Amino acid sequence: MALPTVTQSLPDADRRWRDIYRYLDRPGPFMAEGFEAGAAVKEFLHSIKILVVGAGGLGCELLKDLALTGFTDIHVIDMDTIDVSNLNRQFLFRASDVGKAKAEVAASFIMRRIPGVKITPYFGKIQDKDEEYYNQFTIIICGLDSVEARRWMNATIINMYDEDDPETLKPIIDGGTEGFKGQSRIILPHMTACYECSLDMQTKPTTYPMCTIANTPRLPEHCIEWASVLEWPREFPDKKLDGDDPEHIKWLLDRASTRARHYDITGVTYSLTQGVVKNIIPAIASTNAIVAASCATEAFKIATNCATPMNNYMMYVGDQGVYTYTFELQKKEDCPVCGAVAIKIQVSPSATLQDLIDLLLDRKDIQLKKPSLRTSATSLYMQAPRALQEATRPNLSKCLSELIRDGEEVTVTDESLPISIQITVRFE
Amino acid sequence: MSTDQLWSSYGIPMAKLLWKAQNVELEGIGSLMVVDGCLVEESDLGQNFFVTPASVGQSRAKVVSELLLELNAEVEGSHVQRDPAEIIENSPEFFQHFSLVIATQITGPSLYKLADICWAANIPLVIVRAHGLMGYSRIIVREHTVVESHPEQIVDLRFDSPFAALREFAESFNLDELDSMAHSHVPYIVILLKAVDSWKRKHDGKLPSSTADREQFKQSIRDQQRSDMPGNQNFNEALASAYRAWTPTTIPSSIRSILNNTCAQNITSETPDFWIIARAVCDFVQNEGQGFLPLPGTVPDMHADTESYIRLQTIYRAKAREDAAAVSERVANLLASIGSSPSRIPVQEIEMFCKNAGYLHVIRYRSLTEEYATETARSKTIGNSLAGDPQDNIAWYVMLRAVEVCKTQFQRYPGESESHYVSDQQTVRKCVDAFMQEHGLDPALIADDYVQECVRAAGSEIHVIAAILGGIVSQEVIKLLTHQYVPLNNTVIFDGIKSAASVYEL
Ligand SMILES: [Zn+2]
Repeated sequence: MALPTVTQSLPDADRRWRDIYRYLDRPGPFMAEGFEAGAAVKEFLHSIKILVVGAGGLGCELLKDLALTGFTDIHVIDMDTIDVSNLNRQFLFRASDVGKAKAEVAASFIMRRIPGVKITPYFGKIQDKDEEYYNQFTIIICGLDSVEARRWMNATIINMYDEDDPETLKPIIDGGTEGFKGQSRIILPHMTACYECSLDMQTKPTTYPMCTIANTPRLPEHCIEWASVLEWPREFPDKKLDGDDPEHIKWLLDRASTRARHYDITGVTYSLTQGVVKNIIPAIASTNAIVAASCATEAFKIATNCATPMNNYMMYVGDQGVYTYTFELQKKEDCPVCGAVAIKIQVSPSATLQDLIDLLLDRKDIQLKKPSLRTSATSLYMQAPRALQEATRPNLSKCLSELIRDGEEVTVTDESLPISIQITVRFE
Repeated sequence: MSTDQLWSSYGIPMAKLLWKAQNVELEGIGSLMVVDGCLVEESDLGQNFFVTPASVGQSRAKVVSELLLELNAEVEGSHVQRDPAEIIENSPEFFQHFSLVIATQITGPSLYKLADICWAANIPLVIVRAHGLMGYSRIIVREHTVVESHPEQIVDLRFDSPFAALREFAESFNLDELDSMAHSHVPYIVILLKAVDSWKRKHDGKLPSSTADREQFKQSIRDQQRSDMPGNQNFNEALASAYRAWTPTTIPSSIRSILNNTCAQNITSETPDFWIIARAVCDFVQNEGQGFLPLPGTVPDMHADTESYIRLQTIYRAKAREDAAAVSERVANLLASIGSSPSRIPVQEIEMFCKNAGYLHVIRYRSLTEEYATETARSKTIGNSLAGDPQDNIAWYVMLRAVEVCKTQFQRYPGESESHYVSDQQTVRKCVDAFMQEHGLDPALIADDYVQECVRAAGSEIHVIAAILGGIVSQEVIKLLTHQYVPLNNTVIFDGIKSAASVYEL
């Protein structure tokens, strides 16, 4: 006798996916190379593993979009828990979810709503996972709000590529939003520009996590945001904060200064207060929806070849009408992550090692924090371990000509990058 | 304020719209209604986030509105299980009490009739359609006014015509006598005001106009820099903004035409607030404004000591308040002249108008009739776009028009039935050719590729394309309802293959 089994009957695939199958059952003039209509491509779409990095505003949209596009094996990774301030824009979270892991709550909401889709959450850092983990996915989509995390993902995925093994080529689809502006892009490792190639297009992030503002301020900006975002509406619920009104700014300055003193933070000034207040860019749900859906559209096209993917970057701006600009972002020959040649740096031979490090720290295209430098023969300056740092510190004030030859290659490592950068130092 | 909206629909885009609209911060939307005559089918499960397998066979309007409202308990929701086409045909008065109507996937005669109803009743209508990897949206409003367009920055510093308090403040600085520290913290506005003043003294009150003049003007600023202070940040800022000093303060022509518009000039008790304030500003300009708009009163950030910067801000702001007070008085008189209470328009509204007076927008949308009637159609726009940029999306517009004709004729989308796949392509091609000829355009400008792709798509609603359009439309709806930011005028076509949007005024 057969054991009783509990099976949830799934809707008939042909009826459920009727609209998507119109594209997968028939060829068309705009299909990508390699498209073959029929059962195989549908089976492929329904079976591949896809990773969503981030379960915030973009991530929630992405999970829903992918699940309603026929992807059934979706993984999501996010290290955050749900904060009260997330509830109004991150639509998969309810008040009863506050404090729980975003990835887990988002996954179970989608699985409850859309049967047949499996979402595997991981509550933790992207850095917890190794190549073996990332290697299981066919496509990786990033919906992140931090430059750091994106750099890490980009470099990790691009480094995994082994030209003898085509399976290791993982397309990255990256989305980002800020207010009415957003972008989506496709990164095909070593074929298109990567995130690092375009690092100098990034402006400094201007938003801070609500929990930092509310509980753990570190910067003067955090104190100012606390005063403007939390204190102002509490004190003046009916009055709109005006960044051009000196009295409003003075009030904020006063509150922020008190808070800064309490936390021993310095640097809260009038002009900083005004700057922060006028630059508050709230996340807008519709921009998230547009960018996430654009990323998911590209995932659908890449997975099925039913139409050519975009080439390769779309910028979106929605405050004055509706505007997009789609263009091919160019690869950089000396990109530290995907480039073939080392970055060339010209310095005077009498410059010190410290001068060289300052020069590197100034470069917007590589954005280093605490670089360590070595040649193939020796360590020039190492940030860690401590003993090595102490041993190499005297080098900082030495002339470069005492330490390296003209044209010698120097390897730079930094905590903000999972890989090393090669630079060629030329004396002027 | 309670605002009713009607969202009539056949599918996903609607669901997306609704819930997006609630997410964006918005005081206006009090309630919304979903109108849909269909029952949930299995194909909805592959498109629509607001249905579940358990809801198959139930009223789609009911299921969607319930799951939708779960997202925001503060919005009142309702649904009507009737076919929108049937309501449009039999109960046009149904639409009268909505502030905005969104029509999703509605085409042909029902759409034209709905557009007429909304146009006559002065109700904004937003049309949205998804067709495979393509999306379309069109906004129709008789007149849409925007005070807060949120430009990147509002700059009006009056270098060429400083008002008394500003002139006095600049005169209070004697650059030669300041110690180095104070000299390096003189706000650049003061540096420029002084430079303009001394230039005008030497040049019969004229501003530097030729290239040589301007170079000389900049040199006069450089000459005042001191070598003992590194950086000279305030002087660099003065040089970077020097063009503002020699550009005369004028009123942009688009703003002039708003102020002189007949709506502002002929005030009646029916005139909306926007036009009453516009008239007051117009009169202000001709009288106490001495040819200038009310001062916005904003001061950009700059290198300066806190005290002088705050004083500058206070000076500009005080003048802005004074200007706004003068406009307010004119508004009160205008209101009295038409028998309205002076409290009808709050002071904050007048102040906001004055602050943004240089950045107002008035959009008069073309009606759907004007777009569809051959005599008034924008054939030239279509022709030029077809002949121009290959990245342009106008070919998809022509395709959507052709598909609409086929849909009306056969009551199904071309490509829906496998047995008619080839003949449907021929039918669509004929419709395209007819459209082009009717508009005096060469049919060969539309390649067969577009026809084949449209028949392949067969009117499918792919969730992600609907989501992109839903996001765009919800954003535009918020702009229309709040009168903030600048809405699209009037058509957007999104191509999900290239991933690019194009906007046309059709
Ligand atoms: Zn690169």
